[in-house]
Amino acid sequence: MSSLRILVSFKVTPDFEALREADWLAGAEDDAAEDAAHGVETRYVRRVLNCFDESALEMALRLADARAQRGSATSLGALSVGGKETEPYLKTLLALGYERAARVEPEAALDFAPAVVASLIAGYVRQVDHSDLLLLGCRSGPGDSGTVPFLLAEALGWPCLTQVLEVEPLPDDRVRVACLVDDGLRRVTLRLPCVLAVGNAVVSQLRVPTLTDRLARKHAPIDVLSGADLGVDIAGDLRRETCVLTGLETIDRARRGVIVGGATPAAKAHALFAAHLKDLVEKL
Amino acid sequence: MRFAAILDGTTGAAARQAQALDGFLREGLSGDLAGETLVFYQDDRDKTRLVESAPTRAVRLIKTTVRRPERLVEVLAAVARDEEISLFLFAGGPAGTELATRLAHRAGGAVLTDALSIAAGTGHLLCRKNTYSAHLVGRFELSGGPSCVTIDASWNDGPKPELAEHDVLSDTDETGGPDGAPFEDVELVDLPSSGDLAEGRFLVVAGYGAGNREGVERISKAARRMGAAFGVSRPVAMNAWAPMDRLLGVSGTRAAPDLCIVVGASGAPAFYWGIEKAAFIVALDTDEHAPIVRNADAVVIDDGVAIIEELAQIIAAASERD
Amino acid sequence: MPLTRESIVEGLQRIVGPEDVITDEHILVQSSVDNFRKLQNIFDVHTMPVPAAIVMARSTARVAEILRFADEHGVNVIPRTGATATEGGLESAAPDSVIIDGSAMNEILHIDAYNMQATAQCGVPLQVLEDRVRELGLTTGHSPQSKPVAHMGGLVATRSIGQFSTLYGGIEDMVVGLEAVFPGGQVTRIKNVPRRAAGPDIRHVVVGNEGALCFITEVTVKLFPYFPENNTFLGWTLKDMATGFAALRAVMVSGHKPSVARVYDPGDAGIHFSHFAAPDDCVLLFMAEGPAGIAKATAEGIAAVVAGFPECKPVESAYIETWFNDLCWDASKIIAEDERIRQTRNVNRTTEISADWSSINDIYQAAKARIIVEIPDITMMGGHSSHSYINGTNMYFNYFFNVVDVGPEEETDKYYLPIIGIICEETLRLGGSIVHHHGMGKARAPWVKDEYGSSYYILETLKHAFDPNGIMNKGTIIPK
Repeated sequence: MSSLRILVSFKVTPDFEALREADWLAGAEDDAAEDAAHGVETRYVRRVLNCFDESALEMALRLADARAQRGSATSLGALSVGGKETEPYLKTLLALGYERAARVEPEAALDFAPAVVASLIAGYVRQVDHSDLLLLGCRSGPGDSGTVPFLLAEALGWPCLTQVLEVEPLPDDRVRVACLVDDGLRRVTLRLPCVLAVGNAVVSQLRVPTLTDRLARKHAPIDVLSGADLGVDIAGDLRRETCVLTGLETIDRARRGVIVGGATPAAKAHALFAAHLKDLVEKL
Repeated sequence: MRFAAILDGTTGAAARQAQALDGFLREGLSGDLAGETLVFYQDDRDKTRLVESAPTRAVRLIKTTVRRPERLVEVLAAVARDEEISLFLFAGGPAGTELATRLAHRAGGAVLTDALSIAAGTGHLLCRKNTYSAHLVGRFELSGGPSCVTIDASWNDGPKPELAEHDVLSDTDETGGPDGAPFEDVELVDLPSSGDLAEGRFLVVAGYGAGNREGVERISKAARRMGAAFGVSRPVAMNAWAPMDRLLGVSGTRAAPDLCIVVGASGAPAFYWGIEKAAFIVALDTDEHAPIVRNADAVVIDDGVAIIEELAQIIAAASERD
Repeated sequence: MPLTRESIVEGLQRIVGPEDVITDEHILVQSSVDNFRKLQNIFDVHTMPVPAAIVMARSTARVAEILRFADEHGVNVIPRTGATATEGGLESAAPDSVIIDGSAMNEILHIDAYNMQATAQCGVPLQVLEDRVRELGLTTGHSPQSKPVAHMGGLVATRSIGQFSTLYGGIEDMVVGLEAVFPGGQVTRIKNVPRRAAGPDIRHVVVGNEGALCFITEVTVKLFPYFPENNTFLGWTLKDMATGFAALRAVMVSGHKPSVARVYDPGDAGIHFSHFAAPDDCVLLFMAEGPAGIAKATAEGIAAVVAGFPECKPVESAYIETWFNDLCWDASKIIAEDERIRQTRNVNRTTEISADWSSINDIYQAAKARIIVEIPDITMMGGHSSHSYINGTNMYFNYFFNVVDVGPEEETDKYYLPIIGIICEETLRLGGSIVHHHGMGKARAPWVKDEYGSSYYILETLKHAFDPNGIMNKGTIIPK
C-alpha cells in the first residue's frame, strides 16, 4: 500500500445540552423581530466536539495504526470550518499525530448553510490537501441536515457512504466499510477516493495526547484560510442561498405530570397501575 | 405546483417508506400542489405491489438494475431537467438523504432533510424541521430550482395507505447505461429489526438511570414479561449496555405507542423526540427535576428498576387472569 | 479464631433477617472498591478482598447489634451510606469484611424552620434534604459536587465541604448534634445546642472519623435563608497563579465574604473555560450571595479589591454563571466518563491539600513541576483553589494520565499513588495539610504520622480507646 492521505473534517459546537429552557425560549422569541438574527444565544456555554466527528477523528487514527502495522504510511489531516474555538482541538490533533491542521475562517454564521460549508471543505480538499479519503460525522447541530457529506461527494465527484459504523483498510487503495442503510447493515469494499460519513459508531472517544506529545508539536502550524483562498465567495453564496431559516419555534411537550405516590415501590407500582394503566393495558 | 414523490422499490424498506410518504402527503403537505409517484423497481414481480402502495394516484414506473443511489439520481436529474416539478419528495433515511442532496445539487435546487411539514406558497415552499437536536423547530423558506425534501421519520407511523386506484402513466427502462459502481463484495446484513420499536403499541425504555448493564437487562426482562417492546436512550446504547438497534431518538427510531414507560431517562429532547407521539407516557425516575417529569402523563419518583419489575408482575398477573 | 464467611453471614442474618444481608457475589465484588480504585469496576478487574456481606441496617438499634457482633468476633466493618468516597475509605482492606450500609435509614426526621435546624438519618441523600428545605425558602448551604448522590452520614464522616463553603463553612460548621454508635454497641447522642463549652467539643471525635471510630446514624445540621435571586458572579482572566492567589487572598482578608472564591490554573481552566479564556490564562472567579444589600455590597467590594490587580481582566458574569449552574455530578456525566475511560484509558484524578497564603503557591508550583518530570504519560497537570479562609486556602490538583502498558488494576500503583506521594511530600515540606476535604481514606493513610506530627498521640489514643479490637474500617486514616 502506498502512503494514504486522510482528511477528517470536524465541527466544534456549543454544548447545546448545557443550555437552559429559558435560553431556548429566548432563542425562539428573538426571531419575532423581522430582521432579528436567528439563533439561540450560545456564547456563554462551553464548546464541545460534535460526537460523530469525534468518532471520525479517532477512526482515522485507528486506520493509520492498522496501516502502520502492515508497513504502510498514512498522513492524517484535520480541517474545521470555524474560528479560534477550533484551535485547541487542532492543537490536540497535531499532538496526536495528525500532520496537517487547518481551519477556514467562516466570516459569517454558517450554522444553517451546509452548501457553503461543503464548498469550503471541497475547496480545501481539491486545491490544498489533495486528500485520498475524507472522513467526517454524518450530521451536526444546530442544523442537523446531514447533507454536507453528499454535497462534498457531488463537488468532488466521489462516492459517499453515510451512517458509517466501521472502516478497515485494504490493500490497493480500497477500504471495507460497514454502514447502516434503510433496510439493514451493509458491508462494501470501495476504491478511494471517497467520502465516508460516520454515524453511531462504537468507537466514540478520541484518544488523549500526553504533555510530552503536546510539547513536541507545540510549533506545528495551524493553517488559517479564507473563503477567497479556496475560491469561495462566502457572502455571495449566502445571499444566493436557496434554503433560508426564517424562524425558530419552541416545542411545548408538557403533559399532566401526575405524580403517583406510595409507601414502597410495590405500593407505588400498584397505585400507578390502578390509577392510570389498568384500562390502557387491557386495550393493548 | 407539481411534486414528485420518489419510492425506491429496490430496498426492503419500500413498504414502510410508501406508508410514510402517504401519511405525509395527507397531513404534512399543504397548498396548491398536485403530484405523482416515481417508483424505481428492479424485479418485474414487484411492480404490482409497489404500484398499490404508491401514495399518489398517478404513478410512473422506472426499471433500474443496481441498487445505487447515484444511478437513481441521474434518472431523476433528467426528470428535473425536462419537467416542471417544483418539489421532489423522499422518505427519510440514508438513501433519501443521498438522493435529495445529490439531486438538489445537480438540479440547482434547495435541499432540506427530515421535514415535519411543507406548505406551498407562491414560488416558494415553507418547511419546518427539527433543529438544535430537537430543542427547537426551524422554519425554512425554499426557493429557486426544484426543491428536494426528505420527510422526517415520525411519518413512519401513519395509517396504511388506502388509495384504491392507481394510474400507471409510464414504465421506462433505465437498466442500460453505465453502473460505474465502485462498490465490490457487497453484503447486506439484515439487522435485528427495530420494527417492533417503530410499530409497537406498548414500549418500555431504559435510560442511563438504569445504572449499569444489569439494570438495563432487568428492565428489558420486565418489558418482555409485560409483552412490551424494549428500547433505550443514547447513553445506554453508546455504553454498549444494549444493542444499537434498540436506540430511540433523533439518531435512532421514532416510536408512537399507545403506552410508553420510561425508566431512568431524563428526557432530553434528542431522546424524547423518539417517544413524543406516545399516547400515554409514564416516567419512573429518582429525579423529580428531570425534564421527563414535566413531559409525562404519570410519574413515579423512585428507583425505576424496582417499580418496573413490580409492574411487570402486576401486568403479567392481570393478563393471566383475563 | 476468626469466623468463617458463612458464620459471619449467619450471625448477621440472625440480627437483621436474611433479606437484609446481601451475599450476591457480583455486588460484593463491586463493593470491594470505591472511587479510589474505580477502574476495577469500570474494567471489571478485581483484586481487593471480597467482603463477606453487605448488611442493610434499618435502625440505630440494629447498627448497635451488628457492631457488638462484629466487635465480639473481630470482624472488620466498613460503614457506608452514599458510596461516593474517593480515597479508598470504603475499600475492604481485610478479608471477609462486612459493609454496614445505612442508606435505608433515609428519613428526614425533623425540619425546624424556627430554630433553623434539620435532622436527618444517615441515609438521606443531601439533594433530597436540600430540595425539601428549599421548599421553605431555606438551604443547608452544603453543596459538594457529589450532592446528587452523597448521603448525610458519609458527608459528616469525611468532613466534606461544599462549593459555597467560603460563606457557609464546611460540614463541621454545619453539624449541630448527632447520633453515633460505637463498636461495643454504645449509642451516643450529642444534643442540639448552638454552642457548648462543657469540656472538649466531642462532636469532632465523630465528624471526620471516616468510620474508623464509630457509625453515624443521625445528624442535625443548620439551615440558612436562601436568596438565589441575589446570586452575583464575577470573573477575571490573568496570566499567573501567584497573582491569582494574591488576589484571592486580598479578597479574603478584605472583610468581604463571597460564597465561592476560586482561581484556576491554565491547565484546569482549559477544561472549563476555553470558550473565553486563552490557553495560557488563569481564571479567577467569585460568587456573592445573601440578602440583596449584602450580595450587592459583597460583589462591589470584591470588584474593588481585584481592581487593585491590573493584570486581572474582567469577563462577563454570564460566562461564570452559566458554567457554575452546570457543575454538579449527575448520573449521565458519571456514566459518560466511565465510557470515555474505557475507550481511551485516559484517567482523571484529583488530590486536594490546604496551606497558608505564604506557602500555597510554592506547594502548587513544586508539586506540579515534579509530577510532570517524574510521572510518565501525563496528559494534563493543573488545578484550582476552591475553598478559602482568612488564613489560607486549598489547592485542588486536577490531573489526567493515560494508563499505558499495565492493566487497569495497576493504575493506582503506577500512577495515582506516586502522584499522591509527590503532592503529600511537597505539602508536608511546606507545612500544609495533605488532605483538605476528601478524607484520609486508605490512600493517604501512609502519611498520617507526618501529617499529625506529635499530635498523632491524640489520634492514636482515640483509636485505641474507641476501637480496642481494631474492627472499624481497618486501614482507614491509620494504616494497617
